[in-house]
Amino acid sequence: MAKRYLILEDGSAYAGEGFGAGATTSGEVITNLNLLGYQETITDQIYHNQIIIFAQPAIGNVGINHDSYESILPTAKGMVVRDVTNISTNRLSRLSLDEFLQQHNIPGISGIDTRHLIRKLRQGAGPMKGSIVDVADAHAFDQLNATVLTNRQVDQVATPKPYPNPDTGKNVVVIDFGLKHGILRQLSERRCNVTVLPWTASAQDVLNLDPDGVLLSTGPGSPLDLGTGVLDMIREVQAEIPLFAIGLGHELFALANGAELKALPVEYHGSSHPIRRIITNDIIYATQGQGYAVIAKSIDRDRLITTYVDLIDGTVQGLRHRDFPAFSVQFFADGAPGPHESRDLFDEFMEAMTAREG
Amino acid sequence: MPNLDDIQKVLIIGGGPTEIGHETELDSAMVQIITGFKKRGVRTLVIDNNPFSVALEEIQPTNMYVQAVTTANVRHILEKDQPDAVLPSLGGLLGIRIAQELVENGDIGRLGITLLGMPADTLRQINNPAALNASLKEIHEPVIEAKIVATTDEAMGLVESIGFPLIVKPVAPRVDTNRTICENVDDMLTALNQGFQQSRFDQCTLERSVVGYKEIEMVAVRDVADTAVLISGLEDMDPIGIHSGDSILVTPPQTLNDREYQDLRDATFRIATELNIVGVLHIHFALNPANQHFYVTKVAPYFSRGVALAARTTGYPVALVTGALLLGQRLVDVKLPSRFVKQTAIMEPTIDHISVRIPLWPFQEVPDADQHLDTVMKAVGSTVGIGRSVEEAILKSVRSSQFSPRDVLPSVSNLTDGEMIRQLIHPLANRILVLIEALRRGYSPEELSELTKIDNFYFVKLRHLLTIEKQIQDHPMDTETLQRARYFGFGDGMIARIWQTDTAAIRELSAQAAIQPTYKMIEPTAGEFPEDTSGYYSTFEYENESQPLGDRTALVLGRGGNQLGPNSAAEYFTTEMLKQLKRAGYHTILMNTNPNAVGIAPEFSDKQYVDPIQLGDVLNVIQLEHPDIVIVPGNRHYLTRELSKLPLNLHVLPPDQETGKPAPKSATIGVSLFIHGQQKVAVGVMDMLAPGMNKSLAQVTAFRMPAELPKAKRANLVELAKQAASERQMTGMIQVLFAPKSADSAQLAVVGVRPTRLTEVAFLSKVTGVNWVRMLTRQHIGTLDETELANISVDLNSTRVALMNAVFPFRQLHVLNRPGTTDQEVGATIAFGSSEALSLANLSDTDELDQIINRTI
Repeated sequence: MAKRYLILEDGSAYAGEGFGAGATTSGEVITNLNLLGYQETITDQIYHNQIIIFAQPAIGNVGINHDSYESILPTAKGMVVRDVTNISTNRLSRLSLDEFLQQHNIPGISGIDTRHLIRKLRQGAGPMKGSIVDVADAHAFDQLNATVLTNRQVDQVATPKPYPNPDTGKNVVVIDFGLKHGILRQLSERRCNVTVLPWTASAQDVLNLDPDGVLLSTGPGSPLDLGTGVLDMIREVQAEIPLFAIGLGHELFALANGAELKALPVEYHGSSHPIRRIITNDIIYATQGQGYAVIAKSIDRDRLITTYVDLIDGTVQGLRHRDFPAFSVQFFADGAPGPHESRDLFDEFMEAMTAREG
Repeated sequence: MPNLDDIQKVLIIGGGPTEIGHETELDSAMVQIITGFKKRGVRTLVIDNNPFSVALEEIQPTNMYVQAVTTANVRHILEKDQPDAVLPSLGGLLGIRIAQELVENGDIGRLGITLLGMPADTLRQINNPAALNASLKEIHEPVIEAKIVATTDEAMGLVESIGFPLIVKPVAPRVDTNRTICENVDDMLTALNQGFQQSRFDQCTLERSVVGYKEIEMVAVRDVADTAVLISGLEDMDPIGIHSGDSILVTPPQTLNDREYQDLRDATFRIATELNIVGVLHIHFALNPANQHFYVTKVAPYFSRGVALAARTTGYPVALVTGALLLGQRLVDVKLPSRFVKQTAIMEPTIDHISVRIPLWPFQEVPDADQHLDTVMKAVGSTVGIGRSVEEAILKSVRSSQFSPRDVLPSVSNLTDGEMIRQLIHPLANRILVLIEALRRGYSPEELSELTKIDNFYFVKLRHLLTIEKQIQDHPMDTETLQRARYFGFGDGMIARIWQTDTAAIRELSAQAAIQPTYKMIEPTAGEFPEDTSGYYSTFEYENESQPLGDRTALVLGRGGNQLGPNSAAEYFTTEMLKQLKRAGYHTILMNTNPNAVGIAPEFSDKQYVDPIQLGDVLNVIQLEHPDIVIVPGNRHYLTRELSKLPLNLHVLPPDQETGKPAPKSATIGVSLFIHGQQKVAVGVMDMLAPGMNKSLAQVTAFRMPAELPKAKRANLVELAKQAASERQMTGMIQVLFAPKSADSAQLAVVGVRPTRLTEVAFLSKVTGVNWVRMLTRQHIGTLDETELANISVDLNSTRVALMNAVFPFRQLHVLNRPGTTDQEVGATIAFGSSEALSLANLSDTDELDQIINRTI
């Protein structure tokens, strides 16, 4: 395998071996602390324009499986790992990770001291850009420093056209900001008849479909870059039908209801933080992936109630509207990858839709 | 729910002696739990009869019941001492069974005693598979049920619901029989016909066979508020069919996808909730790799080797946390020592390294045992290797398990192809070496996976190691190759062997090329938080996290995995030595690979390195830490010899048991002396008992103190012993051996002098109340003064008599019970009593000795 380098904005360079595509890419460098689930992670659109450093040291062990996609066309910029195995062992796999990355023009680099990078990024250095390159020379650093990452990320990954995911149950409209498939799988399990709409859909577009409920999906980037149209849509829709929002959708739901957001000093991607469900006072775990958080103080208590909170960093993890059957969570309730115990939020959504009927 | 705030006094049911199935991990957990209870103002009583217990050193003699762990003895303590609660989960399955009996016969209820860790109903279910299966079925957890049939028609009726392959087993067989795995109806009918004949009731059981499935284990903790944290998943490399204790274990699991893993995590939590477990829970699953379906195969709500491994390899303080949970604290409120980030107890561990545990088997010492690995556990110990790749972790664990003094792997290249294939299908203790050999001979990973049901992934990894080995062969003294070899776990000794040079040359080349180890912390947040857990392993990467401890440091090398012989005693020795070094103001560093060791718990040393105890790895640690003292165990001769060539302050502790002089054939009395300068302190005069016909010294595995001799005779022997010692100029703890002058003579004569064996050092410490390990340690580090020693008075004529008897693994290994030898010991039991109670009159075999020790008080 070819010798390649991970270079970072702070001037550091790490030698490793290339795998996947041989492309030279740049992106924001983030760390993922999940124990398993590399395929779900690399295919999740929230990692658009990002180079992912994996804490899990051995990657590729179970190949690529048809039921572990979170999107079909991954848009992450790279994988940084300690050790990669080029294998397809799982009965369902037809593909090794290496081949998959080549097909999607995503470079990977192995043999990197990922623990060092995670300690560095998590414990102080803050967010930075990085590149996977063939030569770590001044030119490569110049290129990296000159790189401007797009802030039109949702446009890049979300569907431009509506499409259906038919079934026989509740009529659900999913607004796609970079939808992860886990959400669709959870709705399918509950027999929902889903229509996925582009994120630019207006309230009228949504209501025209006469849905029982609407779900705002996960997605990449900053919610502050999406303009006010989407917030208007949310305000109108939440007043009419049950609404459930996840990840980026949660951040938009908060904005639409008067709360403010802050960028975290460093993005958090993992599933080890205890999250308190305030109403029952119990503790759950869920995969989290966030660069922004709702500022607790900014929450208008006449409109929103905090429902979940991260006990480690204190971030707001869930909100509920006081007047409407509308609620949201910052973490990924579909649990793909990661713990499953927050999947009952989809049941809650179903109940809200049923209650509206009754 | 009982009010746990009112609990002030707890009885802990101990695990008894070390044997196959449990080692020192129960003792290790017990020490930590006792410490935690103490901090919370709870008084702890302990019943245990393990003479090598460190936990028994931690509590006041008034709280200590050195008695056999039996239901009657526990009941007696409950009645006499009236504790508020009893804790069974530190006694393994035995503890659970005793607690259940006490519930069932009404004692627990009558005395108003609270059960810690689980309710009475759960105890009952753990002891009754049918009841457990019923409640698991209620919460829709799949279990393997055995159905009883009396006719082939009945069996045919069940075939569809059970499915092939299935297992036929006669009910209450007249002869010792095996389970028969049947692939089709013909197989089944044959097995049934045979089984009906063998059964006393003309019945057989039918159950689904999960042989060949993956065995996955989950270790979790849960609190009273139903919050649970998964500590770790463990993957058995070998499939179901080989006992998990005999399988190579990998953590975290490497061949599961996220969904499979999370499904098992969900099931673990559901079971914990259903059984209302508070504290640790260890569950085994059989996972069908073809369709992701799983079955629950074992539920163990108690401390186990799996729990110990999870604790060691994640850095999550399982025992500390469990101690708090048992007293009703919630995970979110558990306060940990300051070295941990505040909320570590409630964060689910996430791990950025890989650990591989390899079992150690006793076949060298017990060669007539059936050496095939099957559903009955035979291993007596294990070693763990930790690395940042699967290859590195495997190699480090193999290098630790083979105990080659020069750190090379044994070759199995002399196997014929036929033998090799037989061993692939019916594995022996050298399993891993045979797997590698098969790859070397050109078998593909897929073929071997098909043959062994070991996941293809592991063969791909092993084959990668062969590729690197080839590269080493092809590029002698090449630095890039050396970098790669070290990166993937090759030891300096292995590389030196291939390049036909010595370790020193390898080290010199490494130094020139700056190929230096980097130590990584074993902590449960994968680098997210600045934990300071004090456990490290080596790898060859960019960042080193281990900073030297600085002034006044002592590096203690452990003995590695448990094997037969005085290993539990050695573990006791090492732990007490660490405590003493700390007390003497040293920063202590332990290097060990035994995940079940007591001393490896962070409580006993300032820093722990989990790395092979091989010359290269030891020198790497020395190079970093610059210890003032290096302590090497007496059984590591090559290592001692090599280290003594260097300018180190080297001490051999536990002392070398070999004197180089021939031992006497037999001895009946041993007099132990502690010799320091001019001082010779008499420590004990004991009967040396060799149950059985052949009374050779190697069969002296039981001891009684004081010896059944007249007072004057004991004094006389002590004088003779002192004389003998003076002549030989020995220091430390020695034992002068006496035997009758002739077969029909009552006259005793000195027949030899040797270092007091580790088992007897522990025994003498327990009996005299003087911690002789401390004395030996202080002698070595120069803090023992003669006057202090002179003031120690040991009552050689105590009316309280003590008896210690070795435990052997013969029953579990299915070999004929017979008098064992000292190198076949797995553990020991101890008892105290009056001279009448522990009289040895008419003693003829080990069983009688056991009866004396284990009788109910």
